[in-house]
This record gives sequence, structure tokens and C-alpha cells, in this order.
Amino acid sequence: MARDPKYDILFEPIQIGPKTLKNRFYQVPHCIGAGSEKPGMQAYHRGMKAEGGWGACCTEYCSIHPESDDTSRVSARIWDEGDVRNLAAMTDRLHQFGALAGIELWYGGPHAPCMESRATPRGPSQIASDFELNIFPRYMDKDDINEVQQMYVDAAIRARDAGFDIVYVYGAHAYLPFQFLSPFYNRRTDEYGGSFENRARFWRESLEKVREAVGDDCAIASRFAVDHLLGPTSIQVGEDGVRFVEYCDDLVDLWDLTVGDIAEWGQNAGPSRFFEENHEKPFTGQVKAGNHTNKPVVGVGRVTNPDTMVAIIKSGQFDIIGAARPSISDPFLPKKIEEGRLDDIRECIGCNQCISRWEIGGPPMVCTQNATAGEEYRRGWHPEKFHPAANREKSVLVIGAGPAGMECAMVLGKREMAAVHLVEADAEIGGSVNWISQLGHSDGKENLFRGTARGLGEWKRIVNYRQIQLDKLRNVEVHLKSRLSAQEVLEYGAEIVIVATGCHYATDGMNAATHAPIDGADTSLDWQFTPDQVVSGAKPVGKRVLILENEAYFMGVSIAQKLAGEGHEVTFVTQAGEIADYMHYTLEAPMLHRDLDRLGVDIHTYTMLEKIEPGVCHAYDVWNPAHKERFEVDSVVLCTARISNDELYRELKADQARLESEGIEQLFVIGDAAAPRMIVDSIFDGHRLAREIDSPNPAMPLPFIRERRLWGDASNEDYKAQLLNTPDVVVA
Amino acid sequence: MAGILVIAEARRGELREVSFELIGAALSLKAQAGGPVAVAIVDPEAEKHAPALGSDGVDEVLTVTSPPPGFEAHVAQRALEALISEADPDVVIAAHSIDALGFIPAVAAAGGFGFASDVTALGWDGGPIATRGAYGDKLVAEYDFPGKATTLLLLRVGIFAPAQPGSGSVVARAVTVDGLDGAARSEHLDYREVQEGDVDITKSEFLLSIGRGVEDKDNIERFEELAEKLGATLSVSRPLVDAGWMPSSRQVGQSGKTVKPRVYLAMGISGAVQHLAGMRGADTIIAVNTDPEAPIFTVAHYGAVQDMFELADALEQSLS
Amino acid sequence: MKVVVPVKQVALLDDEFELLDDGSGVDPDSLEWDLNEWDSFSLEAAVQIKEAAGEGEVLAVTVGDEEAEEGLLSALAKGADRGIRVWDEDLADAGPLAVARVLAAAIEPESPDLVLCGVQSSDAVNSATGIALAGYLDLAHVAVVKSIELNSGSATVERELEGGLVEILRIGLPALLTIQTGINEPRYATLRAIKQARDKPLAVMTLSDLGLGADAVEAADGSHRRRLAHPEKGEGAEMLNGSTAEVAARIAEIVRERVG
Repeated sequence: MARDPKYDILFEPIQIGPKTLKNRFYQVPHCIGAGSEKPGMQAYHRGMKAEGGWGACCTEYCSIHPESDDTSRVSARIWDEGDVRNLAAMTDRLHQFGALAGIELWYGGPHAPCMESRATPRGPSQIASDFELNIFPRYMDKDDINEVQQMYVDAAIRARDAGFDIVYVYGAHAYLPFQFLSPFYNRRTDEYGGSFENRARFWRESLEKVREAVGDDCAIASRFAVDHLLGPTSIQVGEDGVRFVEYCDDLVDLWDLTVGDIAEWGQNAGPSRFFEENHEKPFTGQVKAGNHTNKPVVGVGRVTNPDTMVAIIKSGQFDIIGAARPSISDPFLPKKIEEGRLDDIRECIGCNQCISRWEIGGPPMVCTQNATAGEEYRRGWHPEKFHPAANREKSVLVIGAGPAGMECAMVLGKREMAAVHLVEADAEIGGSVNWISQLGHSDGKENLFRGTARGLGEWKRIVNYRQIQLDKLRNVEVHLKSRLSAQEVLEYGAEIVIVATGCHYATDGMNAATHAPIDGADTSLDWQFTPDQVVSGAKPVGKRVLILENEAYFMGVSIAQKLAGEGHEVTFVTQAGEIADYMHYTLEAPMLHRDLDRLGVDIHTYTMLEKIEPGVCHAYDVWNPAHKERFEVDSVVLCTARISNDELYRELKADQARLESEGIEQLFVIGDAAAPRMIVDSIFDGHRLAREIDSPNPAMPLPFIRERRLWGDASNEDYKAQLLNTPDVVVA
Repeated sequence: MAGILVIAEARRGELREVSFELIGAALSLKAQAGGPVAVAIVDPEAEKHAPALGSDGVDEVLTVTSPPPGFEAHVAQRALEALISEADPDVVIAAHSIDALGFIPAVAAAGGFGFASDVTALGWDGGPIATRGAYGDKLVAEYDFPGKATTLLLLRVGIFAPAQPGSGSVVARAVTVDGLDGAARSEHLDYREVQEGDVDITKSEFLLSIGRGVEDKDNIERFEELAEKLGATLSVSRPLVDAGWMPSSRQVGQSGKTVKPRVYLAMGISGAVQHLAGMRGADTIIAVNTDPEAPIFTVAHYGAVQDMFELADALEQSLS
Repeated sequence: MKVVVPVKQVALLDDEFELLDDGSGVDPDSLEWDLNEWDSFSLEAAVQIKEAAGEGEVLAVTVGDEEAEEGLLSALAKGADRGIRVWDEDLADAGPLAVARVLAAAIEPESPDLVLCGVQSSDAVNSATGIALAGYLDLAHVAVVKSIELNSGSATVERELEGGLVEILRIGLPALLTIQTGINEPRYATLRAIKQARDKPLAVMTLSDLGLGADAVEAADGSHRRRLAHPEKGEGAEMLNGSTAEVAARIAEIVRERVG
């Protein structure tokens, strides 16, 4: 298929300093949990995007010195020759596919606690980080300033040696250069503080020095948060923001624009439940609109729609489409636009699971939509290539078309299994995503700060994408409104049976805190609810409602938003110290807090229920159980725990003789039906089974490459050998 | 050119509007090919309908009074066979309608006549030329009917310009058909109106479809009202479903439903590729958008660069 | 109770299809094949009738080449008991009347109680083959049926008319009905049923097996396609200019014309 001419503009090359960017698709720096110490993961994850057509791919934030150490969060590092060697693996791979390689030189100051290096970070003024608890910087005098600037220069030279084409001086997300520029951090009274030029001096000098060192060979980029979103106490786009761009325009070959800081960087990496596509436009869009720059500008906004991309460039908002999450969700987005395969684009849903792993500190990245993200090297998975299964003459029955079932059926279809039947009890595929995606709204009103609760509608893209792919697969049939009994499964005629029947909410208050049901909890009663019962609206929720949440993710708070938005008086109770703990990692927490506060939800943390009676819930303080509390309510919603729907699986498994006599050779259970988990993990589970359906024991995941130090001399091959031969590995 | 015979339609005592489109088409063909145009109506109240069928240019109106209460396929077949036998027309023009589809193919089969259905254009080249879609309108095909003395053509409804009803100046001739009274092989029991069940936008003939231009959830109601006044079913593009403002059963597009209504009136929809995939097969697409570059204009038959709210108001005005 | 279900394997055009240079047809590589959507409804109706009667046979018949075998197997997998495929080189361009003629020759010896056809096929959309078949078989018929209730020796059916109106009528058996989508919820075939379909009787016949001459078929064919082309690309939309009120009036007029 051919490219639609209206997208031609996205494929026009553009000059960035001494380098030519071959098209307008630019993967801006983002974390993946690889750094310099998992060079295989780094090279192959970035390389996959280059193969998919991205014109440039960047590292994540890359520490220029041990004083900038964010452990346990994973940054890249370019401290020494070993790092150069490791990062060269990335640049080599990018260059193979014709993409430019970018490195985001980073010094964090007090935001980086240096827990591995045990060094002392420096900063413009001695104010503790607003991001990291209780980390103070050492005040930088002129010698310190020169020393740190030299770190940038040395790092830039190493970066050039490593093969990088684009070298950043990174001052977004409130890292060091921004800390000098912003009076929020900079209380200096010398020539590096006070007036605009003074505050800009550190950054400007760093750019000058880096440009002098490598500017002939490399494009010099700067990532700048044009607006800190703190009002006059810090950088505002209309004031110092555009002024800074003008002031340093001559030193920069490429502006990479964002908003916000690191303490609430969800304003930049905006989750879809609060931020729409191209949400930074009011800020980052002002730079070109006001003619403040003569240089190319790249910006972000979780843009996934090719038509939006065209409009962004045509309207002059940016010159280059920047993307982090859309490139994770679909490394082949540019190729698919080029080939006119728009319906194959796997759109980012803005769940920020990828970010959550970095926030947690340590784990490799994941992606709800793209189960191969992070697995390109260690499992050899390619998002667009699937080897035909060695046992593809077998036919497969997948029971349940939720996230795990859809994904498994799709990948099995792409692996050319003879026949895959995906059978779903409901009238549509999608499983719990169908009702979950209806949540996330509250009262539709403007939040206290930039935006409204838009809802989780974009999570439905999980279903949209798989619907389209399943429709295209000739060897996959989807059958709806069909709830199969064990007998029907046995007689179905499949050699491989995969149970993906999902899970349900506990009806009796069973929870992970007390490991026991709650006295009086019973969601069959008309005044008690599981979350899905609230969404289905089958029974009315009373005016005063108490929500008990023990799961630490989005369900309880989303129900709270919905009910409070509809006018209920909502009491929110959780045994944890924090509501929806995991949503801190997904960066959704600050906006969520604002919304719940504005809605007047009455929040009680460190509180657990011990008894539920009509009209009243009896609670206690988890630190002092003798301290009781009574909540008088009309309805109770229990988001306490989920339980696998595994009866069908157990029934089938129990009768081995019958399985054999009916020709069923293998029986598997995946997703929530095996163990309730997050959607990203259910999709992964289904994907993995399909990738390994032809291994000797598909239920047991095959080993993956662990990029750890092997004692003695070790080669790349020693690491690769950890990966047992499966037919579906594409480690080139 | 022996003549053109038009088969008009009536239902429940009223002439159906499509009859005039058929007359209009016949008169256009007459202008190309010559030959008299006769319009026939087979109905229990055929004589009552006759005057209107005598449009300017019609040479003859024929009435066949059929047994009550109304249309019956086998009666219609017998009547048409008799009419053809008597007049020996080159071309018989009927509608691609439920009634006509119920008997005319049987007439064609039994009589060995030429036949084409869902015809969108008529021509003449020594014999009739019929144009129709192929592969579901992805292509266009032309048919001729060599060796056929009479060809039966069913015309797509809503395509041909209608003739003005006659004023009674053409005198109708009653035709008696042998055995017509006993020809019925089915028995009418009743009529009923269909209940509105779950909204199935794929079954609607007229969709009013709204998109991002509606801006706010609260504005949707205004367009629900408009849809009702227009007699349309409301459908939406994906952003409204993503935002949770409308259920996905209303969504037109690649990941929603594919629709082929007679009329698709899109307001505030820019026309993302995935949306176009779901509606480009509609017979008539009217697009309203404030952006003259909106991609939807590339597939629309009619376009207007207008604000959707203002236009909605104006539409309601012109309906009242 | 013997119910015959004529089915058709329809061609779906790829998004990027190619016309043959001489305009005589579409490049076969552009085509994907599937059982006609309407036929799964008529087949389901037939199987339900047989199941309700507790006895009988559902016979699926198709006119088509090897591609059509798949459609017939699909029908067998979904509950038809027996299949007949008729093919001959001379049938390559057969229109609806010719196909109906051939179907009639195959079906007549079966003396069915009921013949259920789909209202139309999704590729050719002639909406004629079923009623033409009724003409050849001289069977009582009703087109566009959306509900069937069998009585002994007759059927009460609902005929779907334009504008949301339904006519209820009674027809004596044997009869032919053309079936509209939505009349039922077509069942799907399990993998086992798909496998077992291959063991059901499937006869392949030629025109001469049916005692039909190629010229008889040609004579029956009601039309000859002389040209196939891409639709003329309009210059895009006809833009309606003027005041909002004028535009609205024009739109209202268009709607009136097209919807009635």
C-alpha cells in the first residue's frame, strides 16, 4: 500500500545543525529501565523504533557524572569508557537503520539522591529537593560551576565518541540548568542569580562550552520546560520562557520543549485520564507562534493521530513531532503511516504503565498496548514479526476475549496456527476493559489545575486495535454471545485449549490486609456493590456511600470520582497510608487528589472496616485498632480483592482422561483467570504464551537474557546463550 | 423502439413517491431512444391513482385493478406478464424496491427477459444500457441485453429526477387480466409498525453524525433533538466515545460500525481515516465543518463550511 | 421437512484492487472470498426449522468454482446435512438469472418443502437470484422475510417493507422465501463441526450432469456486462455556499429527496 500524500509532510527531512533528520518522527528522551548497564536492552529497544522508521531516537536522561545518580531509578550514564562502549551499541544499531542518535546529558542536582555513588550533588542554592525527600545540594560557588560545566563538556566529548549525533544540555523537568534559570530554586545574589541574564548564565555558558567542544560534529539540543506551571514564582512561558528561547537561540540547533518539572511531571507526561492529545500546545506552542526562534522545534503531547501530526506541522506549532509513549506503544508508527496501514497503528492509551516502572525504580519498562516493549533484546520479541509456530497444524480454542484472550488469539493468529477460535460470552470482545473504560469521569468540571477528569475512554484502544487485527486474521474466528460449558469445551474439537475467563470482585470483603472476609459484607444485597455493579447501574447507589479500597490502584478512586461526580456523598476508606498508591507511579495521583478534594470526597487512610451493617460501617485505625470509627452510609462499595474465574479451568484440568479422549493435548490458563493482575500484565501473559506455544512446556516461561555481570571474561554470546532456542526469537 | 412500460407503485391506498422517479427516468430514456411511454399501476385502487401518473410526456396510463387489500407478488407477476404480452415493450422500468424485488425477477426468469437491478443510470445504444455498481459500488459496470426483446430494469430509489405528477390530461385505460383474481399465492394478514429496540445505527437510512466539533458533553442533547426533528438516528465519531460521552454502539468507524445509510449528515467531524472507513459507502454524504481542509470533504457529496451549532438552528428553522 | 438453502461464496475486494487491463474484470489476486452474509441467516433459519421439526434435511446448494467449496463446507459445518456444488466453465460470468436457472435444475429433483435464499449477495447485490429461482421452480414466494413461523403445510411470515413497516402474510408450502439479515442469531461452527463437515456428502456437478446445455444457460442470462470501470472520481464535495439559512434549506431539500 502507498502513503497518502497528505502525510508527505511528515516525511520531509529537516536540518538540525550539522545533521539531517530524515523525517519528522522523533523519539524524545524517555526512560526504559536500561541505562548504560543493560546495553542490549538499550540498543534493541531504541533500535526497534529506528527500524520502525523513527528519524531520531534518544537515550533516557544520561548522567554526566557520579554526582548525578538517581538510583534506584534507572538513568543512562556516560561517566567513562565502559559507558561509551555500552552506549555505542545503541548508536550503532540506530545508524544501521538510518536514524540519528540523541543523548540527553543530565545533572540532577538535589533531585538525584546519589544512593549508589554516595556523592554529594550540587545546586544553585541550598534548598532541599521538592521531589526527593530531604536531599540537600551543596551550594555551588564559581569553582563548582566551572567544574560542573566541565562535566557537561567531558560528557559531550564522550558522547561524540560513542557515536551520538544529537547532544542535549537537559534543562527540563527542573534539573540543574533549569534550577539556575528559575527563581523557585535560585536564590543567588552573585552573577548567576537575580536578573534574567544572570539566572540564564549557567545554562547559556554550558551550551557555549558544549557547542565549542562538539558543535561541529554534533547537533546541540536543549530540552526546556517553557513553563514551570507554578505561576510567577517560576518560569512562565509568556515571560522568561520565550525570552530564554530567544536568548539562547543562537547556541541551539534544536529546541525540545516541555512543561512542568520533576515533582509533578505528570503535567508533561500527561496520563490520558486527565490530559488529551497535544495537551501542551497552549504552552509549548507559543514559542514558534510568537516567532521566538529560528531553530527547529520538537515537542510532545501524546500525539498518536497522523492527522494531528500533520496539523501540528502545517500550523507551525512544531517542526518535528516528538513522541515518547506513542513510540513505545508502536515503534512502527512511522512505517505504518508510510505504508498506508493506518489501521495497524497501535495507539498509546496514556495509562503510564511504562513510566510507573521507572518511578518504582529498577524494573524494566512495560507497555499495556505493546507487550514486546522491553523484551526486544532479552526475549528477542519483535512487535511486527512473528515466526510461524512449529506446531501450527494444531487448532486452538481461546475462551474469553478480554485483554489476555484477545492478545493470545491475535498472536497465535499471526503465528499461523491452523485455526484459532476466540469465544466470548459477552456480545462484544474486550472483557473488563469495556466497563473499566467507562470510568475516570467525575462531574465534568474543570479541575483545580489544568484540565478535567476526561475518563479512561482511551483505554478502549486496547480493544480497538485487537478488534481490527483479529478481523484481518483469516485463521482466527471470533464468536460472541457464547458461554461455553466444560462439556462444550471438551467437544469443541481443539487440540489446544486456553482459558482466559478473567476474574470477579470479592463479594464478601476478602482482602489482602486481613486475609479474611469482613463481617456483614455481602454484595448480593441491594445496598452493597462490587465496582462492576456500580458501573452497570443494575441497582441504584444510595446518597451516602462508603468505598472500601484495598487494591492500591485505580478502581476504588475511580468509583469515588464517578459517584461524587454524580452528587453522592462519598467516604473513601483504605487501610493503606495513601489512596491508590500505584497511581503515584503512573503520575495520575496529583490530578486525582485535586479532583477528589474538589469533589469533597471524605478520605480516611490507615483505616479498615471490621463490620458492615445496614446504615453503618464500623471501622478502626490500623495502627491502633482500639480506636474505632463509625460511618453512617446508605451504600457500600467493596473494592477489596479480585478472584480468578477459574472454575472452568479446574473442571477441565481435573479430568485428564476425558481431555485425552477428546483430543485436547494442552490446556492453559492465562491472565486474570490464572491470577488477577494489571491489564498490562494480562496482555503480556497472553502474548508470552502465544510466542512460546511451540516450546516444550509452554506453561513455563522460557528463560530470558539477564544482563548481569558474568564473572571472568564474558562475551555478548555468553549472555545470548541464556535465551533458550525458541522459534520466535529475532535477536539479529 | 417499441415502447417503455413503467410500473408504478402504491401502498395502503397511496401512490409511492418513487413512481415519479420512474416516470422521470422513462421520459429521459424516451428523449434518447424514442418510443411511447406507458405507465401502469396494479392496485385495488388503480383508477384513483391514474390521473397523477399522467405526467407531461407520458403517452398512456394503464390501470389494472387487483384484488384487495394490496400488493401480492404473484398477482403482480400475472399482471405484468399480461401487460408485457399486450404491449411488447423494449424496456420495463420499475423500482429497486421491496415490492418490485418480490416479483419482477420471477417475471424475468419465466419470460426469458433481460434483467438488471439497482440501476443507477440508463442509456440507449440500439437497446437499453444499464449502469449499476459492482463489488458493492467499489466499481461501476455497464450492461446491455443483446437478443432480449424486452428488458426489465429496477432503478435505484432516490437517484433519478422525478417527473411532476400529471393533472389528469392523459386518459387512463383499464386493462383486464385473465385469472388475476385467483393468482394470489399468499394471503395478507396484517401490517405493523416496527418497535424501536436497541439503537442499531447500521439499520438507519438517515444518520446525523457528530464529532469533536460538539466540544462538550452537554451539547450533545441539542443534536439529539435535531436528529429527532430530522427523523434521523444520532451517531458519533470516536472521540465522543473515547471521552465517554456516548456509548460505542453509536460509533461509526473502523473500530465501531460500518454504515451505509441513504443520507449521512456529518457535523463537526473532521474525517479521520478510521472514521471514513466506516461511512464512505453511504449513498449521500453531507459534511458540515468549520475547517475547509477537513478530510471529510474528500468523500462527501455535499459540503458546507459552517458552524455546526448555527447550522443546526437554521436546519430546525427550515424544517418547521 | 426438506429445506434447500442456496448459498453463495462472495468476493470481497481488497482495498487496493486491480482491474484487468481490458476492463473485463477484476484481477483475481485482489479478491478474498467468504460465505455471503445473508446466507448465514437463511442457513440458520433452515437448521432451526429442521431442529424444531425433529426430522428432515437441510441441503446447501451453490453455483461456483473451487473457491465456493469453502462456503459450502462452512454451511455444512453450521448444520447443513448435504451439499451440492455446480460448476462449469461456461458459468464464469453468469448473471443472477442464469445462476437461478442452474440452481433450479439442481433443486427441482429434490422436491423441497422450503427454499430459503438470502435477500441479496454482498458482492453483486442483484437481490434477484432468489425470486428468479422461484420463477423457474414455479414456487410460491415472498421476498425480504424477517420472521418465519411454520404451521402445517403453510408458513406465516413477516415481510420487511420500507420505512419501518412490516407486512404479515401467510403462504402455503412448498414455497421459496428470501431471508433478511437479523432474522436470527446465526450459530457458528466449532472446530469439530468444521472438521466433520468434510465427511458430509458433497456432490460436485457439471451442467451436463444436470441435463442443461450451455446455450440454455446463456439464453436464461438476463444481461451482458460490457464494461467494468472505476467510478468517476467526483471533484470532491459539491460545496454549498450562501448564508447559513440558505445552506440549511438546501440540506433539508437534499435530505427530503434522498430519504423521502
